[in-house]
Parts: sequence; C-alpha cells; structure tokens
Amino acid sequence: MKLAPASLSMLEREYRRVGFYLILPALIGLVLFRLYPIIASFFISFTDWNVFGGGEWVGLENYFEIFSSKEGRLILLNTLLFAVIYVPGIFFIGLALALALNSGFRGAAGMRALYFLPYITSTVAITLTWRWIFSTRFGLLNNLLLEFGLNNPPAWLGDPTWSLYTVVFVAVWRDSGFYMILFLAGLQTVDQQLVDSARVDGANRWEVFRHVTLPLLAPTSFFVILIAMVRSTQTFEITYALTGGGPNQSSTTLSFYIYQNAFIHFDMGYAAALAYVLCIVVGGLTLVHHQLRGKWSYV
Amino acid sequence: MFQRIVITFSFLFFVVFQSASAQTLRYMMWDPSQLEIEKATIAKFESSNPGVNIEVSAMPPKEYWPRISALAASGDLPDVFAMSSGYIQSWHADGQLRNLKAYADKLDMSKWFSGAMDVARLGNGLYAFPQNWVAPVLFFNKDAFDAAGIMYPNSNWTWSDFLTATVALTKDKDNDGRIDQYGFWAYGRYAHIEPWVFRNGGKLLTTNRTSIAPDFRAIEAMKFLTDLANLHQVAAKPQDMEGIRSKDVFPMGMTAMWVDGSWNIAHLRKAAKGKFRWGISQIPMGPNAKPATAKGYAWADMLAVSPNTKNTDLAWKFIMYMTGSGRKAKDFLGGKVPAYRPIAESDAWLERDLQPSNKEVLLEIGSGTTTTSFTPKWSKWRGYAASKSGGMNGELDEVFNGRQSLRKAIDNFVEYGNKVLSK
Amino acid sequence: MSNRHFKLLMITGLLLYGTLTIFPFLWMLITSFKPVGDTFKLPPTLMPSLLLTDHPFLNFELVFQERNFLRYFINSCIVAILSALGQLFTCSLAGFAFARIRFPGKKIIYGILIATMFVPTEVTIIPEFFMMRFFGWLDTLLPLIIPSIMVGAFGTLMMTEYFKSVPRELEEAAFIDGARTVHIFYYIFLPAARPALASLFVVAFIHNWDELLRPVLYITNDDWKTLPQALMNFVSEFEAEWTLLLTGSFISTLPLLLVYMAAQKHVVQGFVHSGIKG
Repeated sequence: MKLAPASLSMLEREYRRVGFYLILPALIGLVLFRLYPIIASFFISFTDWNVFGGGEWVGLENYFEIFSSKEGRLILLNTLLFAVIYVPGIFFIGLALALALNSGFRGAAGMRALYFLPYITSTVAITLTWRWIFSTRFGLLNNLLLEFGLNNPPAWLGDPTWSLYTVVFVAVWRDSGFYMILFLAGLQTVDQQLVDSARVDGANRWEVFRHVTLPLLAPTSFFVILIAMVRSTQTFEITYALTGGGPNQSSTTLSFYIYQNAFIHFDMGYAAALAYVLCIVVGGLTLVHHQLRGKWSYV
Repeated sequence: MFQRIVITFSFLFFVVFQSASAQTLRYMMWDPSQLEIEKATIAKFESSNPGVNIEVSAMPPKEYWPRISALAASGDLPDVFAMSSGYIQSWHADGQLRNLKAYADKLDMSKWFSGAMDVARLGNGLYAFPQNWVAPVLFFNKDAFDAAGIMYPNSNWTWSDFLTATVALTKDKDNDGRIDQYGFWAYGRYAHIEPWVFRNGGKLLTTNRTSIAPDFRAIEAMKFLTDLANLHQVAAKPQDMEGIRSKDVFPMGMTAMWVDGSWNIAHLRKAAKGKFRWGISQIPMGPNAKPATAKGYAWADMLAVSPNTKNTDLAWKFIMYMTGSGRKAKDFLGGKVPAYRPIAESDAWLERDLQPSNKEVLLEIGSGTTTTSFTPKWSKWRGYAASKSGGMNGELDEVFNGRQSLRKAIDNFVEYGNKVLSK
Repeated sequence: MSNRHFKLLMITGLLLYGTLTIFPFLWMLITSFKPVGDTFKLPPTLMPSLLLTDHPFLNFELVFQERNFLRYFINSCIVAILSALGQLFTCSLAGFAFARIRFPGKKIIYGILIATMFVPTEVTIIPEFFMMRFFGWLDTLLPLIIPSIMVGAFGTLMMTEYFKSVPRELEEAAFIDGARTVHIFYYIFLPAARPALASLFVVAFIHNWDELLRPVLYITNDDWKTLPQALMNFVSEFEAEWTLLLTGSFISTLPLLLVYMAAQKHVVQGFVHSGIKG
C-alpha cells in the first residue's frame, strides 16, 4: 500500500512535532557532559590553574613545557612506542586467529568464544592477576623460567627495559580477540569462490592470502587500524593496575600521566594541556588514516 | 535536569542555613580506621558543649586530598580539617589556612613537641595545630639478629656498625643460590632516604627551601644506601621486590632490617604476628654528623581551620579537645606519637605489653632536633603515591636497581625538581 | 606443506594461544582456593588446596564478609544495570529521531556526536569532576550513572543505523490506522530492534562494570565503591594477600562471564557494532 503524498507529509509533520523532544536527553548530555568539558578543558590548558583557584593565563607555556621537558618527551615517546607495538600486535594476532578459525573445523565456534573472553572481562581484575604472574620473585612466570634453567629471569614490572612491553603485552592479550571478531566479520564478505579458483589455478596459500584475501579485507583492515590506534591511547586501567607507570615513569603513557598531574599534583592546567595533546594525537591519527584510506582504496 | 539542579541548590542552601543556626562544625579527616575512635571523642565534646554539633567524615589520604582540594577551590572547606606536613606549605601559600597564632600564644608551649609545632609555623603565624607526629625508625628482626649472633641496634650505632650487621644478616638459607634474607632493603621513597640524609647532618634543600640542592652529606647518605644494593649486595633491589608491597617485605622475613615511618608499627603488629620478634631503633648516625648536627626526620599530622569559618573560637576549642585534653593514649595507634607530651609520656602510650617494647625511641627522636624536606609541589618533585615512579623516587630506584649512576640520578632529579619548584 | 600438516600446525597454534588466553583466568580461580600465605611458597603450586579442607570457600567468605565485597558487588550491579537500561532509553529515542525525523541542525548534531566519540575521557574528566562537585553528586553513584546514560554516542549511532533499516511501510500503515509517534516508536521500532537493544545492553553493562577512572575520582565513601575500585584498594590499603585479591578479582569477573555465556551472540555483535570500547 502506498500513501498519498498528503498523508505522508502528515506523518512527517507528526514526527517533527515531537522529534526535538526525542533527542533532548541525548542533546543535553552531549552539551553538558561532552561539549562543555571539551571547551572548558581547552581554556584550562592555557592557565596555570591548580585547583585552589588562581588560574592565570599563561598562553602556550603548558604546551611548551610538555615538549621541552625530559619527562614530557619520555611520556610522548612511551605513548608512541605503545601504539607502534600494540597496533601491529593486535593486527597480526587478530588476523591470524580469524584466518585460522575461518578455515572451518569442528570446535571453531568454541575457540572463538574463548579468544574473545579477555576483552569482555574486568580489566582491573585480570590485570592484577597478570601482575601477580609477572612478579619478580614469587611470580609464576619467573619460577617457570627458573625451572627451565634460566638463572636470572628479568624483573618484568621493575625493569624499564621490560615494563612498557609488559603493559603492551597485557593490552594486546586482552584486545586481540576483539580484533579477531572484526576480521571474522570482514572475512564473511570475501567471496570463497575467488579463493577456491585461485587455489585451482595453482596459487599457494601465501599467494592466495597476499593477492586475494588481503586486498578484499582492506576495508576491515583500515577500520581495525583506526580503532586500534585510538584504543592504544586509552591505557589508564592497565597501567594503574600493572606497574603504576614505573619504574622511573618508564611505563607511563599520556593517559596515566594526565591522571598523575590532574589528581595527584593538582596541576590542572598542565593536565588539560596534556589531555589536548592526547586529543590532537588521536585526531591526527584519524586524519592520517582517512588520507591513506582514500589513496589506498584504489590499489 | 533543571529540576535536579534546583533540588541540589536548595539542598545546599538548606545545609548552609542549618549550619549557621545550630553551631555546627564540619570536620574532615583522612584516616577511616580512626573514625570510630574519633566519633567517641566527638560525642564527649558535644555532650560537654550543649548546642554544638560536629559533622565528621573520613576517607583514605589518596582520596582525601583531591576531595578537600576541590572543596577549597569552591570556598566550601569544612571548618576543621586534617592537614599534613607535606601539603601545609602549598595550602598556606594559597591562603587556605587560618592563622591560629593568637590562640596558641596563650598556651604553655613546653607541653607540645616543638618539632611537631614547627611544621605549622610559617611566616609569622601558626597555620595548623599538631595532633600527632610520626618519624621513620629502623625496624629490626630480633630473631634474625639472635640467629646471626649479633647485638641489636641501638641509638649509638654508626653506619659501619649497620653495614657489618647487614652483611652478617644477608643469607641464602636453602643454598639455592638466591638470597632468602637480605640484611636491608630500601628504594627511592622519601621515608627510606631522607632519614639517612638528615642523620648525616645533610640537606636536600637550600636554606630558604625554594630549590633542591643536596649537599655532600646528603649525597654521602644516598651513596651509602645505594651501595648496599649494588656494591655490597646485602640489600634487596626494588625490582626484585616487585609484586610485594613495600611494607610487607620486612614482615615476610625477606629483610632483617627496614627503615620506614613509625606508623608501620600498627601494621607490623598484625603482619609479623607469630612470625618473629622485632624492635625499633634510631636511624644510625652518619660519619659526617655530630650529635649536634644529626637531625631526626619527623613530621606532624595536624588540624587546620578554614579561613571561611564563622566560628573560629569554637573551632579552636574543638581542636584543643581533639589534640589534647579530650584524648587518651589508646587513641593513638602504634607509632603515632601524640603531639601533647603528657599523653605521649604516659605509660599507657608506651604499651609495654606489645611489640616493640621500646617505643621511647620515638620520644627520643621527638625530643631532639627534627627537620623535613617538604615544599609546595613536594609530591611532584619527590615522586609520591600514584606518581612514585617519577621525580627523585623514580631516579633513585634506578640507582638501587644498578642501572644508573648516583651522579646521573642526582643531576636528573635536581634539574627536574628545580623546574617544578620554579613554576 | 601438505594440507594435513598445515591444519595440524594451525590447530596446535590455536590451542597454544587458547592456553595463553585461558590461563590467567584459571590461575585466578586456583588462587582463590588457596589458603592465605600459600602464594608466597616457592615454587608456586597449582594445587587449590582449600578444596580439600572443611572450608573450601573460606576466601570467598572472608572477601564478602570482612572486606565488604557484597556492598561493592551491589554497587557495581546498580551502576552497570541502571546505566545500561538508561542507555537503552536515551539511545533508542535519539536513534529513532536521527533515523526518521527531519529537524533543523540534525546533521550537525549527529556529526558532533560522532566527532566527540573520538575525544578521550581524559580531556573531559577535569571539568566533569568540578561539575559533579557543583551538583553535589560526589560520593553518590550518580556521576557513574548519569553521564553514562546521557552520552551514549556509540549506542545512538548503533540504534540510528539499525532503525534506518526498518521498512517505512510498517509505520505508514500504523499512522493511517491512527497511531502517533510514541505508539509507532513503542510498538513498531522497539520490537523490531530487539537484537540491537540486547547487544547495546550487554555492551553498556560491560563498559560500566569495567570503569575505573570515574569511581576513583568520585567515590571516596566506602559504602559506594565499585568492584574495580575496591580491587585497587586491596592492593594499596590492605595486606598483600594475593589469595584474597584474586578471589575478589574472580568475583568481579564472574558476572561478566555469566553475561557473556548467556548472551554470547549479542555480546559479540554488540562489540562489532560499537566498534570500540569506551
């Protein structure tokens, strides 16, 4: 049944009458809990506000300090290093798991459920468990290593050589299953006939993957990389529960550093500037991603 | 939403109106474990002052400071609130504390520990009043000393006595090539380092306390401590104790000696119970100090009054009661020393029937000269609480771990700290 | 490499990774059945030895009774359930409006909504803290619930996309039969979106259950603490009893495991749709 144009516009009019009220809760939330804090933070970042009041305008000083201080640069470097390991880490593990599960065998569904498990469980709880496993003296891992004859196992959480990698490890461990799910969804769109005919033409597994599956997975891959880059900056829970940013700030990334400055030292101005740097990093990554995607989608 | 704001506001007005009419004092403190004791004392104060109503709330320190700072920011401070030695200078500089000097001048000051009082003397005034004070002490495992056949530490111990004992107490009990009992353990923490610096007559700050400049005595102390872990290998490295909280290393028997705040007495009574006997002693005096220049490291927990309170007289009366006349020795748990001497010097506070049997060591420390290294922004340059991986703490940890030279660490934290302080 | 060998290798790899995945959970479970003090025994044992005694659930009793975990558990449930229900409400309403109704500024609002998804919490948390203080909401569960309900950007996005796929004919027919917007929404759109709503609910539940930063900032009163926060306090305030800590961890993981097992399909779909946690 088709409506006459007149009554269609009546439905439209009826909708319009109430439409505004329907988005009102979300709109208030958007203004009050997102836009206002985003703008307020922006202004705070140009002051030396330290909770007690004061708050003189200092221009770009906070931003200058982030990039000129040794600590600020270390934290930026850590944040970058985290992303540089995290993104390829989850990409390869997530993709490998998805490809393996997609080949279809009995029990694949159960395995898929298992790999996704770390992603949905309480981050604090599972990170504390890892902390205990990584503990230098009484931890399970080092005692295993001793059993295997490694006499001086590393201090995973207490040695700057390892601490950041340990944090990344837990993050990758927790998230890989999620990216696997995204890849599995992407693989649904890959035409199995193309794969089969390539195999018939004599291509080996690697060639099929390289020239058929991977190009077809390009949209998913880009999406995964975008999400992973954004997510690699959100490390508060893991850092707080695993290393507390130590030793000597070696595993502190921007997310935790903002917390330290805002709520331990009450340097709100500096913390807000850090938050905006984080925001710019995320925005920049999104932009780069957007550009690349435009270029590479023709490949 | 609008309605909610209106309700919130009317509620706030109601509270403000209430407190104005019924002589209500709001009181905030940071030790929830002390709350029951506090409530009992408050009840007594209220019954002897009819018409007065005290509203008390308590939260752990790491939550207390963000909260009370936010209250200060909005001019909504409670009338009376707990103040620490670490933050008093920032708070005073920000004008958030009422000067109590006029009241205190009427008191007989010999009844209070002067070191505890000095922390609150800023400029020409007195900006808080001490309730109790604490000091790092040397904890030692008596059973371990007996097993090694050496004498317990005493107040006359020198650093070489300490080193000798530390070497003798370091043991691989099961011969697996790993040390099971270290003689000592320390990391970059303020309560681990500063006591040694001050007992060597050293300083971390310039005289006007505006910049960081460790003198050679301070450096000597840091060298002595970090050498224990690296050169002598008789102290556990911080990285090897990862996964065990710092205050559990000693009660677990992993180290025979430990220097940390006296508040740990209460913790050790529980954590070391039934495992071994233990005692406390002064920090050994350094080679470059004379009894006249060796200082103790002690600091006070205080009560402060909001500059906005409408009832300073009542607030002062309340503080006097809560820090002195209303108190009993048993209100002060373990290693917290009452700032009011008559209580601290009573037999009840010495708790002879509990460990340690020699709590007068603390009185000895408090009667001598004491000092601190607190400044505004102390938490940042020193590296404290959730940021203990930064600042001086973080740099020194890397020396203890044997990955950084002391010289480098000092250069780093002096540069960093002075930048923080100059801001 | 032959097909069989390849498959064998692949399954071995999957099983190894599966072991790595499940192991921390098992270790958590085993440790929660170890007597206090066993954790510092060297070498560590895999034996949940409490199970052989008269009090197999001793750690659970201790954690629930002495450490107030029942209270934290209830708080976490309140926060997670109310936030998730609230999000269903606001997101489906807004999603419906964005999908169906033309009103001025719609595209701009929708664009801003999506753009703010990428703004990290760290940016907004400082002003938010002072706003909550201004409302007098500190030490209540409101700051953990209200913002979460009202800023369901992902949920709104998800519901909008879903509602767009609802066929027009249904509502047109209903309208002619006299139904008004509210009826159309309630009787046509909501039932049609049931799978999406289920996914949104579990995703929101899990997010709010896991939140740590906000509770740490807003809640200081022990009566209102949530489980992740209480776990962190375990590390810093009490004895480092890893048996009790991991028992607490297990307790705070269990509801998520149950939700996951009961609604695995919705959970997986929900996360694929929302794309990102947070």
